[in-house]
Amino acid sequence: MRIDRLVRPWAERTPDQLAVDGADEALTYAALDALANRFANLLRAIGLAPGERVGVHLPRSGRAIAAMLGTSRAGGVYVPLDPSSPPSRIQLIAKDCGLRHVVISPALMAAWNAAGVSAPIEHFILSAPGGPAEVPAPAVLYDWGRVQSSSPAAPPPVGDSPDELAYLLYTSGSTGVPKGVMISHRNALAFVDWAADQIALAAADRVASVAPFHFDLSVFDIWSSLSRGSTIVIVDEATVLSGRKMLDRIHDKAITVWYSVPTALVLMLDTGGLPERGAPSLRVVFFAGEVFPMKHLRRSMEAIKQARFFNLFGPTETNVCTAYELPGLPAADATAIPIGHASCGDVATVVDPDGRPVPDGEIGELFIEGPTVMLGYWNGGQRTPAPHPYPTGDLVSRRSDGELMYHGRRDHLVKIHGFRVELGEVEAALTAHSGIKAAVAFAVEQQLVAVAVPVDASVTVLDVKRHCAGKLPRYMIPGDVRLVAALPQTSSGKADRVRTKAAVIAGDTAVLQPVRPPA
Amino acid sequence: MEADVKKAIYDYIVGTWLSGDGRGLDDDTDLHQLGVLDSFSTLSLISFLEGTFKIQIEPSEINAESLKSVGAIAGLVQQKRAQSPA
Repeated sequence: MRIDRLVRPWAERTPDQLAVDGADEALTYAALDALANRFANLLRAIGLAPGERVGVHLPRSGRAIAAMLGTSRAGGVYVPLDPSSPPSRIQLIAKDCGLRHVVISPALMAAWNAAGVSAPIEHFILSAPGGPAEVPAPAVLYDWGRVQSSSPAAPPPVGDSPDELAYLLYTSGSTGVPKGVMISHRNALAFVDWAADQIALAAADRVASVAPFHFDLSVFDIWSSLSRGSTIVIVDEATVLSGRKMLDRIHDKAITVWYSVPTALVLMLDTGGLPERGAPSLRVVFFAGEVFPMKHLRRSMEAIKQARFFNLFGPTETNVCTAYELPGLPAADATAIPIGHASCGDVATVVDPDGRPVPDGEIGELFIEGPTVMLGYWNGGQRTPAPHPYPTGDLVSRRSDGELMYHGRRDHLVKIHGFRVELGEVEAALTAHSGIKAAVAFAVEQQLVAVAVPVDASVTVLDVKRHCAGKLPRYMIPGDVRLVAALPQTSSGKADRVRTKAAVIAGDTAVLQPVRPPA
Repeated sequence: MEADVKKAIYDYIVGTWLSGDGRGLDDDTDLHQLGVLDSFSTLSLISFLEGTFKIQIEPSEINAESLKSVGAIAGLVQQKRAQSPA
């Protein structure tokens, strides 16, 4: 089975059922099927080769889903591109995976033209009417009319193997270059089918799409829903800003299944009136991406009493690899809930630094083997294969009842509101600034902090922020930037991230002397 | 009064987003170029504005233009105050 085959049966059986209920456009299964074919036929007509990558650079919408499905039907590999990332970072991704084709919204196309970057992209396909009339040569622009005039009939199928690449998800990379995680059809479907089966997802379900499409949580929203003939309800980027509007959308659209980072639920609890209003239509709440503070998890479960709650766990490289369904409200004095046990046909082992399994109760690294483990990293076409079993970098212990408990990371990866941030990538961006000699980055609670040594006192925090905004997606821009005379060093002479962080938390200005602005 | 509004917004942005270093920030500085306005910082800015100035900002009023700069944010606050005199 492949993901490009999931929609056709529903387009035949329930053509008028809504596949995507978007903020400004709804697509039935028949309409999604036809639009995906138009994208597929156009991509083929302009020379898409089997296995070639296609960027999808659109706000979350039915058209973005149609572009992904169309890419897949044309035999291509889709690459969701973050609409909030600066063009320079998108270009790093484009170069890494040799993107020749991008489906893009008119507004983002205008921003690309203004930034003046296109290489190596040769073909831009607009997802809607309007937008720029041309792009810098030698790239070619195909407008919405060209999409609409392409055939809505299914193209001849390409590729049969479930082990071929379905999509690439770019995550933060420690060396300063984003890493492309290669997910095959088999990888994706192992999770997509498992998740749909766990909750008996059906055509009557209305599934929220809250997570960005370049974030692996969205794989459930899109493909599990389409595999069962359900309706995807887009909770768009503007709505996600407001707890009240988010909860309104759940009520108005009678959303039945919700999957997000805990932060979105906390927002609805604190500013959306969730404790008073409840969310009677919800029957399932999945959460993932960060630790759910117990107090807020209890509040959420009390407010949405009728729903099943699941903690899903896994790095992008293994999609979801463990899961835990809460048996009931956690005890008032509980300090943590498990991440559960292996899911999706995977096998989880907990090992010591020598790779030997540790006894129950002891902390070790989580290793995962099974169908959700990625093929590897794209890595500029060198395709670094995934090690087997896959070392997740997550520290866990196994309880006597078999459930795994989470104890943090063993490396320099942090999570900011559920997004993965490699501290090395942030530090590389900071030191690329001509006025910064050295820098370290780390997370304090949910805030990314950067401590940097400027070449002189004329460098301002504003300069540093503006510089970062040109290189990093928003969630990776340090919220707190400190400019200091020098950084503590390790015995090997490297900037000491651990001592710097301790000094920031302690407010130790003897260790971190602020650089005084010129009087 | 307009100056007070601007001062309060300026102080909030310098304190919350610029780690206390206000050098280079003026009324027209493009805050989007600073990359500070993600969903979480936008949310805390809105709750600061609503709490400080006793106004109610609708999600439809939250957009790139209305939150572009200290001057634009002050304009939004003034407009909201004019609509609903306390």
